This record gives sequence, C-alpha cells and structure tokens, in this order.
Amino acid sequence: MRNLDQFARSIVHMVILITMSAGAFCQAEGPASSPEKEKELLAILTSDSPASEKAIACKQLAIYGSSESVPELAKLLTSPELASWARTAMEAIPGPEADSALRTATETLSGRLLVGTINSIGVRRDPMAVDSLGARLKDSDIQVASAAAVALGRIGSSEARQLLRQSLTSSNAEIRSAVAEGCVLCAEKLHSDGQSAEAVALYDEVRQADVPAQRIIEATRGAILARNQDGIPLLLEQLRSPDKGLFYVALSTAREFPGADVDQAMATELAGYPPERAALIIQAMADRSDTVVLTAILNAAEKGPETVRLSAIDALARVGNMTCLGSLLRIATEEKGEIADAAKAALGALPGESVDAEIVKLLGTAQNKTYLLLIELVGSRRIEAVSLLLKALDHSDKAVRRAALIALGETASLQQLSVLISQLVSPKHTEDSEVAQQALRAASIRMADREACAAQLATAADQTKQSAKKVSLLTILGEMGGPTALAALEKAAKSPDLQLQDISSRLMGEWMTEDAAPVLLELAKLPSNRYQIRAMRGYIRIARQFVLPDEKRMEMCGKALDAAQQVAEKKLVLDVLKRYPGTEAMKLAVKALQNPELKDEATQTILVIAQKLGSKGVDVKEMLASAGIEKMKLEIIKAEYGAGATQKDVTEILKKQISDLPLVTLTSATYNASFGGDPLPGNAKQLKIQYRLNGKAGEATFAENAVIILPMPK
Amino acid sequence: MATNTTTSTTQYPRRQFLKSTVAAASTAFMAPMIIPSSALGKDGAVAPSERVVVGGIGIGNRGTYDLGCFLEQKDVQFVAVCDVKEARRVAVKKIADEKYGNQNCSMHRDFRELLDRKDIDAVLIATGPNWHATMAMNAAKAGKDMYCEKPVTKNIAQSLILAETMRRTGRVFQAGTQRRNLPHFAFACQLARTGKLGKLTRVYAHPAGMQAMMSGWLIPEPEPNPETVDWDMYLGPAAWRPFNAKLLDGFNFEKGGGLVGGGVLEWGSHCVDLCQWAVDDCPPPVEYDAPKDGQLVARYENGTELIFRETGWIPLGSCPVRFEGETGWVEAGDSGKLVLSSPALLAGRTVEEIGGYPATFHVRDFLNCVKTRSQPKGNADAACNAHIACHAANIALHLGRTVRYDNTTHEFINDEQANRLRSEALREPWRL
Repeated sequence: MRNLDQFARSIVHMVILITMSAGAFCQAEGPASSPEKEKELLAILTSDSPASEKAIACKQLAIYGSSESVPELAKLLTSPELASWARTAMEAIPGPEADSALRTATETLSGRLLVGTINSIGVRRDPMAVDSLGARLKDSDIQVASAAAVALGRIGSSEARQLLRQSLTSSNAEIRSAVAEGCVLCAEKLHSDGQSAEAVALYDEVRQADVPAQRIIEATRGAILARNQDGIPLLLEQLRSPDKGLFYVALSTAREFPGADVDQAMATELAGYPPERAALIIQAMADRSDTVVLTAILNAAEKGPETVRLSAIDALARVGNMTCLGSLLRIATEEKGEIADAAKAALGALPGESVDAEIVKLLGTAQNKTYLLLIELVGSRRIEAVSLLLKALDHSDKAVRRAALIALGETASLQQLSVLISQLVSPKHTEDSEVAQQALRAASIRMADREACAAQLATAADQTKQSAKKVSLLTILGEMGGPTALAALEKAAKSPDLQLQDISSRLMGEWMTEDAAPVLLELAKLPSNRYQIRAMRGYIRIARQFVLPDEKRMEMCGKALDAAQQVAEKKLVLDVLKRYPGTEAMKLAVKALQNPELKDEATQTILVIAQKLGSKGVDVKEMLASAGIEKMKLEIIKAEYGAGATQKDVTEILKKQISDLPLVTLTSATYNASFGGDPLPGNAKQLKIQYRLNGKAGEATFAENAVIILPMPK
Repeated sequence: MATNTTTSTTQYPRRQFLKSTVAAASTAFMAPMIIPSSALGKDGAVAPSERVVVGGIGIGNRGTYDLGCFLEQKDVQFVAVCDVKEARRVAVKKIADEKYGNQNCSMHRDFRELLDRKDIDAVLIATGPNWHATMAMNAAKAGKDMYCEKPVTKNIAQSLILAETMRRTGRVFQAGTQRRNLPHFAFACQLARTGKLGKLTRVYAHPAGMQAMMSGWLIPEPEPNPETVDWDMYLGPAAWRPFNAKLLDGFNFEKGGGLVGGGVLEWGSHCVDLCQWAVDDCPPPVEYDAPKDGQLVARYENGTELIFRETGWIPLGSCPVRFEGETGWVEAGDSGKLVLSSPALLAGRTVEEIGGYPATFHVRDFLNCVKTRSQPKGNADAACNAHIACHAANIALHLGRTVRYDNTTHEFINDEQANRLRSEALREPWRL
C-alpha cells in the first residue's frame, strides 16, 4: 500500500506546490505548464474541429494543461466519445479546479459517464467528494454505487470509512462486494499509517460480513498482517480452515509474515495437518529461508506419507545444510523410486561448502551404492577430487567408471585433460569411449585457457589414425571456437579425407566469429573441396548476420558474387544487399544485372534498394538509369488478400502506397498488419493484384509477406 | 569477433552440448516435484482434485500459442473461452473440445461471465496490451490466478497498482515473460546477479524500435455486429475512438488515452525484464537520458547503466541482452545460445540450449505456483519494476530530455510534465 499512497500523495503534493509556488516550477527542468501551447490546444476544444482532433488536444492537455483548461475539459464529460479523453487530462491537471469540476459533473451525469467521473475522483482521492460519493452508495445503478464505494476506499478518510462501514451491512447485496473492497483499501491505509488496531477492526468487520469469498480472503490476509505477531493464531487457523481459498491465502500470507515466531508455530503444528496440506505448508516454510525451522523439514523428509516426504526433500535442496547430508544419502541409497530420485536431486543442490568437503571425505571409504552416488555428486556439485576420480576409472563396475568420467568432465583441469583425451582415443574399456567423449567435451568448453586446450585437442586429432576419433575431436574443437580450433578445422577441411572435409565445413558454417570468413571463401574456391557450396553459404551467412562495417560487408558480398558458382548462392548475396541497402549495394546489384540468370532477382534488388534509399532522400534516378530502369506509372486496379473464398479487398490500401516504381511498400512488415487484420487465421494467404504499368495491364500473385514487385506485363 | 562493442579480449560461443529438445525438456516439468506419481492415474491422467481449471480471455494468435502450452499440461482442464471476436471463440472452443472429446468449452463475449464461474481457478489473459492490466486486476478481484501476456501495463501507475492488487488479493500472477524460465537466460542473469561478472557496470536491452507516440484516431468504418466483433468491449479501458478494422490485429500500440510505448515497452517488457533480473530485481533505474546515437541510457541507484540499444548485438537471435561487469560479460538471445567473455564463467556447468523462446516452462512454473501459492518467476513485483523502467524510458524518449525518478515516492524529480505521464484515465466504466 505504501507505494500507491506515496504515488497519490505525490499528486496532492503537486497540487500544493502548484498553488503556492508556481514560479518554482518554471525554473524546474520540466516546465510546469506551457501557456502558449495550452492556448493553442484550448482553441481546438472550443472550435468546431472534429472530435478526433479534440481527443488529441485533451491528451496534450494532460501534459500542458492548467486550471485554465478545466472548464472546457469539463464540458466534454457529457460526451460518450470524448469523456475518457477529457478525464485523462483532468486526472493529471493539478489544483482544486479539476476536483471541483469533477464533483460538479457528478450532479448531472448518469450511467457509464457518471461511473467514469466517479472513478476519476477516486484516482485523485478528492476528500471534498466524500459526501456526494456517500450519497451515491444508495444509487439505484449498481455500477454507480460500486464505483462510489471503491472511490471512497481510495480516499480513505475517516468520513469515507464511516460511510463504507455503514454500507457493509446495510447496502444492497450487489454492491457489497465493492463496499468491502473499499473497506479493505481503507484498512490498508490505516495499517500503513500505523493505526493497526483500527485496521484490524475494519478487516474483521469485512471478514464477518456477507460478502463474496474473495473479499473475505483479502480481509483475512490483511487481518493477519495488521495484527503483527498476534496474527499468528489467525494464520494457523486459516491453515486448518476447510475453505480452500482461506488455506491458500494463509500459504501466501505465511511467506510475507514478519519475524521468526511464525516459523516455529508452523513447525510445531506441521505433523497435525493432512498430508496434502503439510506438503504445501512445507513449501511455504522453505520459502522463508532466513528463519525456516530446518529440523521440522528434515524430520518430514525422513519418514511419513510420500507426498510430505517428497515436498520436504525438495525443500531441503533449497534450505538444507550439512546436517541433512547423512539423511539424504541414506534415503538416496536405501530407498527406491521417486523418494530416492528426489533425495539424489536434493543432494546435488544441498547448500554449503562443508557439504562438499564431507562428500570428499566419505568418498575415500565408501563402497557399493554409496560410492557410486558420491562420485556422481562430485560431478554434479563440481567438487575438486580428481585423484579419487582417476582411481575410480580403473573400477571393475562400468557404472562407476562412467560416473567417474562424467565427474572428470565437470572437474578436470587443463593439466588433467590428457587423461580424458586418452580415454577417448584409446580407452581401456571400449564401452567407455562414448562417455569419454561427452566428458572431454564438457571439460573442453569450460577451460579458461581455451587456446591451450584447443592445442591439445588439435594435436590429438593430428596424431590419431582413426577417422572417427578425429571427427570426435574436431567436433569438440568446433564447439569451442577460437583461432586454434579454426586453424585445426581449416587444416582438416583441406585434407583429402572426405569425412574430415564434411565435418569441418559443417562446423565452420556455423562459426560464431567473422574470422572464419576468409577460410570459408578460400574453401569455396578450392576445387578439391567437395563442400564448396556449404563453404560459400557459410561465408554469405557471416555477411548477412554479423555486425560488420558496411565497407567490409559489401566487400564480402562482392567477393561472394564473383566466387559463387551456383545461381542459388548468388541470389543469397542479393538478399544480403537488400538487407543492407546503400550505394555500394546498388552498384553490386547493377553489376549482377549483367548475369542473365540473375536478371529478375537483381532487378528486384535494385528496386528495393532504390526504394529504401529514396525514402531517406537519396536521389536514385541515376542509379536506376544505370540499371536501365526508368520510372514508370503504376496504377492499382484491384487487389485482394486472403485464401480460398475468403478474400479481403485491399485495393484502396495499395493505391495509397504506390510510387513511380513497380514496387509497393506497405506500412507494416506483415501483410496482416498492413491490411487491417488477418482475414483467415491459420491459413496460408495470397495477395492478388491487377495493375497497369505504363498503361499495360498485368496481374501478379504474392505469397504472404513477400516483397511486392510488379513485373512489367508482356 | 562478432561484435565491436566488447570490452573483453575473448569470447566463447556455446553450441549444442545437450541434444534435449523442448519436448523432452518439458517432460521433466510435467508435474511439480511435490506431487508423487502415485497421485497420477495409470494413464498419466491427473486426479480431478489436482487439476487446475483454466479459462482463456482474448485468445488470438499469441493466445492460441499460450493455450497450446497449457493444454499440453496434464493437470490443466480448459473449460471456457472469452473473446470479443466470434471467429476466435468458435476456433478456440473447437481446439478445446477436440482435445477433450466433448462439447464442454463454454464461449463468452463478456469476460465477466467467465470470471463469475466459480469452478475456474485460473485464467490465461492474451488480449491486446490495452486490456492486460485492467483484465488482470478484474481477474484477481474475482479470485482467479492468472497468466497474463505482456506488456502487462500501460503506464507507471498501472504497474504499481498491479503489484499492490496481487499482494492484496493473494493471487498468483505470472507475466508472459517466458524467457525467465529458459536456462540460458537464467544462467546469464545468474552470472550477473551473483557477482560472477564482477561489479555490474552495464546491462543492455534491445528495444526493437525506440519511439513513443501519442495515439490518434483512424478513419471511421462501419461498426460490425457486436456478436461478430464487440467493438465496445474490444476498446475496453482505452479512450474511445471509432471502429477501424486496422485496430483489430497486431500489437495496437495506438490505443490508449495517454502516451503509448513502441518497442521500448513491447520488446522491453522482455529484454528489460531480463536486465532487471540480472540486477536482482532491484528497483528500476533512477535516471533516464534522451536517446542519442541509437542508444538510451538509464542509470540505477548504484550507478549500473541500463542501455537500450538497437544495434551492436552478437547474432544470437531476437531479444538479445548483454550484461557487463568489471571482470566479464555475457550475451544471450533467442537462439538459446550464450556468448561469454571467458569459458571460466561456466565453472564446469553445461547450460541447456533451448532456442525459440517456448513458453512451456513458464506456464509450468505458473501452474506449480497456483498449487503451492509461491511466487512464479514473472511475478507482479518483478513485472512492476521492469515495466516502470520501460515507461520511464518512454517518457524520457517522448519529452526528449533526461528525467529522474524517485523509487520511494514514485515521482519524477522536479519534472511535472513527466509526472503527468505516469497515468491515464480508463474509459468508463472500467477501473483498476
């Protein structure tokens, strides 16, 4: 409540400042008012300007208006079209004039317009309106009476409270909900103002009243919090309540209740709740991590109904500590199913560095299931215990070796990387090879000295004779990135081994830094490379997606146009030019026009670039002339957008967007947005246009959201 | 290097280490931890007492996607749809009825009918942004929990009232900021929040179009039959204007009686929200400069800068964010990938890579909290702070000058014009 009170008070504060020291605001960074601007806007309101202009004037007056504007704004409160616009200004303009005008308006308005005006009075928290609002509590219009009740609640004065209290028992059942809402707002204000006893009394009145369940819930929350520590019994009562709504609000209120006594109270009663409730109460207890009674949760985790145990074990993962380790290890190793799985998950997250030290200590002597679990925990908790893990690599149990490898992947340092490389390249047990690869990958991607790590992997890839192992190592290098990895992949791509060419070109095609560009271009030109197209596409991807200086990007596009052997790749380059329009892009597109196979796409590209440059004020006439494109007269005859029998006539929309090029640029990025909505949601739509270019009639169809470039009719 | 804005000498791309698909990952979230499988039926169906009964309000394109995320949760029973458009009511009923093999999904034009249903526990609100806050508060007062699409509020006053209302009513509120429940964004925020990047110096958000507008009216068109499109209810709390079909779809920033946000609000409600998470959901910045050179710089109380910038991002997909500290930085985007100043920041972790910003996990988080009454990741307090940052930035943008915001009084300091832009009237009869 504090936030809103302060917000509302700030408006009142502004009123006082404006009244008393208007001059001070004139010196402030943001001027308080702008008389000239206000005069212009008021002239619109008093003129016979269309309502649309008056609406905008009202909006501007919300910023620039003063009490001078209030009389004209007040006249609009009777207008169903403009009342809400006027109220936006009247809610914002400081001073008693706006309050007075709103109060006066309530004397003659009715229905929705009256409701809106009362709502604005509530926003302004006008204490002078209490009497008239009180009278409205008995209005025959339920909406009016309800609005008055909430407005009184927002005002929150003692007079307003009194009126609401009276109505809580006497009013029509249909408005009692709003009266109760007003009472709760008043009680919140009392509580935040330090009048907790009065707040409690008001909350309790609402709790006893014949009002909707949600109002009782709100009053109950308030009644608990306003009682402070004396609210604990009431909170516990709700936790026992047969009413689900009250139980739920007790759970959320428990989380915001101050002090530690409530934790002890919930812990004491925990065993007495039905299992489904106890499980939820444990979650609430655990959300109070600073004051939680851990022993209660640990006890619940160790024995009892499954639902409660699962909740408690889950809670230990968040709030447990070293004292929970033994119990969780026992549950994880001696029990089965979801309980054991939950305990393992909790062990992985159990807070506290002393937990790590104890796990290492136990690992030295543990056996069987506990040994395996502790190794898994070393990995999942990333505990430094490499020597113990290396020892486990020789274990006869495959599961233990597997867990040790995974743990090494999470914890090994650069100095220990060779162990994992050996496990991948020449494992003692062939069946461990796949896990070793996972572990090596996990280790490699987190090494602080990436280049040193990549160097070890590159050397291993060079030295191994097995292609599959080379591929595995190169894959990891590709995932790591960096200059050393790139060099290793380049070398592999240039090798005669097709498998290595394949993997390395694929990985470089997804490279995340632009330094792969020259390598990819070279590979795209290399006759011995079977994956030239892939390399070229990777090169174009960098030009298209990466943050690059314009010069560099255009240089890359030029090289790609020269080097690409396939028309498809050249078209991709033209797409990049469209995306980054400029004079250099235009030159490249004009050059591409020389290629007969690119004529249509290059023309499209030129038009798109010309249109974008033209919109920025660049004279594109000469550029277009150099491409042999003249400006032409475009007429839209008919245009429909839709699918099947559902077609929307968009002729008039397109007519507004034409220029002297055979190109139509829409107002939004999508057809739906440009054409006033989706005529057939969920269906593929088309745009059909009948048109004339320089007098020649033509027809063209475009897939949804395609660039609209109209071909010259034959 | 993929970026020219980095302060570090190395960067580290993260690729697909885990092949987990969204579907596989969502399986892991199918039920909250505290519900044992014994509470589930043999066929995986959930006992009626464990189901969350849901209604949908304003189910268009985005809403239909969200609805799909709800329907794939076995403990959800979707029973009612409300939309001002008849075609959408019919379409959503068809989806629900086909899912359950019955004809039970009820259709409503007026959301108050849906909120009056006592059997409904929670609602999905996916109306236009104009309605979000008002609808959410109506739902809370009707005793419903809610998953509400973003942007959640239209101005600073609404943001504050929303948070207060959710506290007062004890309802569970989840803003549609689904990136809070994606592992790579969560990890990036965690690095920033826990000091792994050193003292935070800058957090960056992508506004995707910095513009603040004062909306107007479009050319009047004949108003459709209310049964087909209920224009009055569609406008709802927005200041009145004549019907125009263009306003029926898309993001419709144009509605409202006050200042309306462009990308700073629409996209910022995701990106700024993540930045807020990175700064541990502290109160929003206290100072906002006017944009300069494609950047709008805001400053938190402790000096950390929140920078809205259009360009300069590493190509990691839409909704990029970047967090810079004195010793490291991290950048993430909708591809599901992270780029780090040093692999050491991973500290041995592998971060699950889930691209395409699915809302499945966010919906699951919401449903879990409906059951436990805990706070979901996109709770009303978090949403309030993130949205205030967006609104304040928009006000600086609109006024073209620096504005300073006091997080205690929720006033702009010595700036009455800015203060007047903190709220706007709702059209009658709506109130917050």
